[in-house]
Amino acid sequence: MKKSLDRYLLQPGVYYLQGSQACIEGAIVAGCRVYGGYPITPATEVMEHAALRLPQVGGRFIQMEDEIASACVLIGATWAGAKAMTATSSPGFSLMQEAISYAIMAETPLVIVNVQRPGPGQGYITASQEDVMQARWGHHGEGSIIALAPASVQEMFELTIEAFNLSEQWRTPVLVMAEEPVAHMRERLVIPPKDDIKIVNRKKPQDVGITPENYLPRSHDIMAPMANWGEGYNVNHVGLVHLEDGNVTKYSPRMHYECISRLQQKIEGNVNKIARVETEFTEGCEHLVVCYGAVSRSSIEAVKEAREERGIEIGFLKLVTLWPFPEAKLREIVGEVDTIFVPEMNLGMMKHPITESLRDRCRRVVSIPSLGILHSPEYILSKIYEELK
Amino acid sequence: MNIYKRLEIRIAGFGGQGVVTVGKILGTAFTVFEGKNSVNSQSYGPESRGGACKSEVIVSDGEINYPHVRRADIFIALSQLALDTYISDLKEGGILIVDPNSVKNVPERRKYDVYEVSTTEIAHKVGGVKFQNCVALGALYPFIKDLIKETSLRKAISESVPANTLKVNMTAFERGKRYIKEHYVIEEN
Amino acid sequence: MLKYLREEGPSGARLPLILCPGCGSGQVLNFTLQAVDRIILEDHIRKENFVFISGVGCSARLTSHYLNFDSGWTIHGRTLAIATGALLANPALKIIVFTGDGDTGAIGGNHFIHACRRNIDLTILCINNGLYGMTGGQVGPTTSAGTITTTTPYGNTEENFDLCKIAETAGATYVARWTTAHPYQTIRSIMKGIRKKGASFIEILSQCPVHNKTSPVAMLKNLKKNTIRAHKAGESTEGKILIGEFCDLHKPEWNESYQKIIDQFSKEKSK
Repeated sequence: MKKSLDRYLLQPGVYYLQGSQACIEGAIVAGCRVYGGYPITPATEVMEHAALRLPQVGGRFIQMEDEIASACVLIGATWAGAKAMTATSSPGFSLMQEAISYAIMAETPLVIVNVQRPGPGQGYITASQEDVMQARWGHHGEGSIIALAPASVQEMFELTIEAFNLSEQWRTPVLVMAEEPVAHMRERLVIPPKDDIKIVNRKKPQDVGITPENYLPRSHDIMAPMANWGEGYNVNHVGLVHLEDGNVTKYSPRMHYECISRLQQKIEGNVNKIARVETEFTEGCEHLVVCYGAVSRSSIEAVKEAREERGIEIGFLKLVTLWPFPEAKLREIVGEVDTIFVPEMNLGMMKHPITESLRDRCRRVVSIPSLGILHSPEYILSKIYEELK
Repeated sequence: MNIYKRLEIRIAGFGGQGVVTVGKILGTAFTVFEGKNSVNSQSYGPESRGGACKSEVIVSDGEINYPHVRRADIFIALSQLALDTYISDLKEGGILIVDPNSVKNVPERRKYDVYEVSTTEIAHKVGGVKFQNCVALGALYPFIKDLIKETSLRKAISESVPANTLKVNMTAFERGKRYIKEHYVIEEN
Repeated sequence: MLKYLREEGPSGARLPLILCPGCGSGQVLNFTLQAVDRIILEDHIRKENFVFISGVGCSARLTSHYLNFDSGWTIHGRTLAIATGALLANPALKIIVFTGDGDTGAIGGNHFIHACRRNIDLTILCINNGLYGMTGGQVGPTTSAGTITTTTPYGNTEENFDLCKIAETAGATYVARWTTAHPYQTIRSIMKGIRKKGASFIEILSQCPVHNKTSPVAMLKNLKKNTIRAHKAGESTEGKILIGEFCDLHKPEWNESYQKIIDQFSKEKSK
């Protein structure tokens, strides 16, 4: 791989970029050097910025013939040693599910950004959070996945880096569930000094003294070291259930169960290390707003106003990680509350795991839906006041 | 005008008038050259030309949460449709800059501080109607001059327009600025 | 050639292959490994650089867990896209794709024509047995009209593809067709395909004795009988299938062209 050309890396400082651009700049910082994509509104700007920037830093960009091919490019690129990503929108995301499923089974790191748009079908081209369930359950079969929800241009940068780090560390596809307002808005981006940015690279067998002769694709460790193609490790990637050494013909229900539960446990068993939330005013609050993505920006303003203008003891909890769902963290933070409000740009999706986690800690969970447009603080407030009067 | 918390500017017109560029220039000027925080967003109909198009800039010395206009402090309307669609979000006493060639009617005019600037005419004199957006920017400047240095705006313009049109755009900016100065007295806030 | 196969693993023996007795895919694997072996020897290319990728089907089983090479047993029809990604990450890899008539001509059709169009450095070995073997003998895009299969129980009403013609039209720079009854020609073509910098498409007509309910020997004899060398065909093909090399061109390969773009930025830096 070509060494990156420092001159073309963005130096630490203050920038004014679109969320789409910030996403690619984050990817470049994280070490992404392969992008395969397909145009789709409202994600096209991410791809266009990748086309511009990747060769400047010694990477390669290709526009593929469809979204399925784009996701597949990431699989091959990762196996050959690169960090790879693509960006798409909801219909393209549906097309990528088979590849995502395969990548989960083959424990293949890759990053897919979904700048969501309303559906179903062609839907529309504006704001949406309608794929947050598809993120977790859209791929066929079992196996867990990681999904992050950026709320600002700064987070498009930071969470893309975090997505690559998580994918390399946990050997899994990671989804960045973005939204059109955040992808298209321009906002201040602060790029910190290089040393302040943590980058994680996949653990390789060479790093832990495993020779080609002793290499097992799935070691007894839950985090199997990953050898790249071309390094003499005779790595064989498969999508079928398999034994630790990669054998695919000695099937048994027990082998099947062990193979899959390992994949599941790898992520779900490490929720506390993977998932992040942010909170404000949750200490002893009487009511709570749980939100994610751009809606968290409208929500925090609504929460502050409700507290200041009407003295309502309402707290704010933002899910930075959607999946694996941080149930334990939520139960740690939330005591007894009366009403939990869940504003979403869908008809109520994350409200389900939220309800499942906190049903015994609240009187009720109230959805505040909005389709195609970002909630305004006024809209959220009107619903809160209506419910609490 | 107190910028510490939040300043909201909206520019709207039809597709092709350069509304989005004005928002981008303002955002760049405030963030990169003035060190403030700003968020700039836009929305349009599907048509490349015509239709309704708006751009918004929220500026703050602190954090910006909700990234869109709640109660605009300043609204620049370059078409009647844009005015009709968005006037209700302008705060009472807010600054309304309109192009009288296209905006013939301002409902409840007395609620706002209205300034009429013939951006299209001035643009024509400078070099063509496509420079209308920088005329509008110039007309805006006197209302925000306490919050942003002119050099910041000029630097932002030079980053946002093609190099070979820079000179004309700067002239358009000057003319817009001058028009306000010559025709209106602006109260110092 | 056994040195290239993984006979055993910690979970036990992997050989014999799961393929049916008399299946042509095993022969194709043999031919391929012979070609690779000679190239490693003659061209001094490291064995580490070779990668085998397959999709789904009988052809794909060759990489399932038998090879002592870097490999991938991937998604039905999407092999070429995956291979493209690998080449973007490491243009030095020598990637050989095992695919079948359905994997290439049906579900993989779009990726097939674009990989050829891009002339990306791949050696695509399409083992064409004229039907979907793994799933029980359904009709495929290369099944001839009139054939009775499990999904054309009244006879196939559709015409079939000529995959080589598609490859050539789409832009592949080396296109050839052989059969499992033509071992030496096939080995030579595979070597040529690997050596060629660009998209090489080699179709290998192969026998499926089980679904055709015919002995492998009879099928091999038919392959010899029913094919004719392209240059010998003259005006009429006598109803036979053309085999041979159909094109051998020199055009810029995808990574070669893209490298020029990357280089323009390194050049600027060293100024």
